[in-house]
Amino acid sequence: MAWLSPSYPVGAFSYSGGVEWAVEAGDITDRVTLERWLAVVIGQGGGFCDAVFFVHAHRAVTAKDDVALREVAELAAAFAPSKERHLETTAQGAAFVQATRAAWACAALDTLTSVCDGPVAYPVAVGVASAGHGIALEAALGAYLHAVTANLISAGVRLIPLGQTDGQRALAAMEKVAAATAARALVTKLDDVGGAALRADLASMHHETQYTRLFRS
Amino acid sequence: MPTIAARNKENALFAANRAVGRVVVTAHAVGAVTRRTRVNESGSLRVRFPNAFDGELEAVLVNTAGGVAGGDRFAVDVTLGEGARLMVTSAAAEKVYRALGPQAEIDLKLDIGPGAALRWLPQETILFDQARLTRRIEVDLAPDARLLLAETLVLGRSAMGEAVAQGHVFDRWRVRRGGRLVFAEALRLDGAIAAQLAEKAVAGGAVALATVLIAPGDDSLVARVRALGDSFRGDVAASCWNGLAVVRCLALDGAVLRHDLTIALAAVSDAPLPRLWIN
Repeated sequence: MAWLSPSYPVGAFSYSGGVEWAVEAGDITDRVTLERWLAVVIGQGGGFCDAVFFVHAHRAVTAKDDVALREVAELAAAFAPSKERHLETTAQGAAFVQATRAAWACAALDTLTSVCDGPVAYPVAVGVASAGHGIALEAALGAYLHAVTANLISAGVRLIPLGQTDGQRALAAMEKVAAATAARALVTKLDDVGGAALRADLASMHHETQYTRLFRS
Repeated sequence: MPTIAARNKENALFAANRAVGRVVVTAHAVGAVTRRTRVNESGSLRVRFPNAFDGELEAVLVNTAGGVAGGDRFAVDVTLGEGARLMVTSAAAEKVYRALGPQAEIDLKLDIGPGAALRWLPQETILFDQARLTRRIEVDLAPDARLLLAETLVLGRSAMGEAVAQGHVFDRWRVRRGGRLVFAEALRLDGAIAAQLAEKAVAGGAVALATVLIAPGDDSLVARVRALGDSFRGDVAASCWNGLAVVRCLALDGAVLRHDLTIALAAVSDAPLPRLWIN
């Protein structure tokens, strides 16, 4: 899916979701510790919560339910645990909406901009565009989680650093986590969204004060 | 084996014996002081108003049931009228015990009017092994309302060798300002909680956690917390966005957490901390 390729102009490569701090602090030192950290981030942290927002945004568009769309858009934008994670999701959301309206316009994205007067979170933007173009929810969600996971692994590969082969091994190992996360997101009510990646949240706050940084989060 | 009918009857009896408690407090500014204008208490939840300092009224919550068990339902509603100033604390740490059947539920609703200020500084909520708790915190702020809110969860008294090996926690926060959602989060821990907390990205073995919300928040508040860096004994981080400042604390036990939280709150609060806290 072109929208989720690393070359799509949302600047995904510039965000690490706090991985940069976790490497600096010594919590992530190699492929195994990267996989363990990301298993929590994807399965019990921002990955899972964003997957729930993606699901509900997609369903709201398919059901033409503007009230539900507004509700999920508002919640997703308010759900960031820190300043940089807020930037990460809203800046990518805004860039995604802009690029996609320009090249792959659809009525659903126009509706999103009209019902949502605040910033748009990235998973909501992608979920809305996917539904607007008739891409089935399960397939779109799987692609989205894969892209988010691959982006975080890529940050780890550059920061630790790891070889490209280890990066691919980590991606293969994370496939199960992403699949299980998608399955849970599909049956989670919007009101029940939540996570437990507490130190990943603190890492994204500590990152604001990190002296040398390659990433914006 | 009891029949289904007998078991249903037993469950109904159990449910009927569970505690329900609710406190509703409304306060308004009268000249330079804040007065309570409505106080309702029901069940085992009580509220006392021991002091007022410099125009800020102090409210102390007391749970006469001595803790929270499975199936218990507690609610606290606070409404502050224009310009009112209230500090709410609790007489003791709240203990959430093992739940045999349904989960315990706690609902907090804090409605802070124009120019009003609430400092919500209860003592810790301590969970025991096999506790099951859902807590919902709903805050409605007028655009110029002020809030300092600190909530602490201790998941097992580690200093006493206790842990929450199994349990359920769902802690759901929603904060609106001028009707608009500006902060939302939810902590969800289910099943083998102690094992999950040991994961580095979850808590790295920490069992005590606190979240502090400050409205309005700005970078100078964040800088004041960061300046304490070397004094913290646990992991403390701060950030500011959407006009709110958030401080998060993690610690290996409740005592370390209280130390860190006390110095962080002293740095950001415009009035002294509750005396009950510092004892």
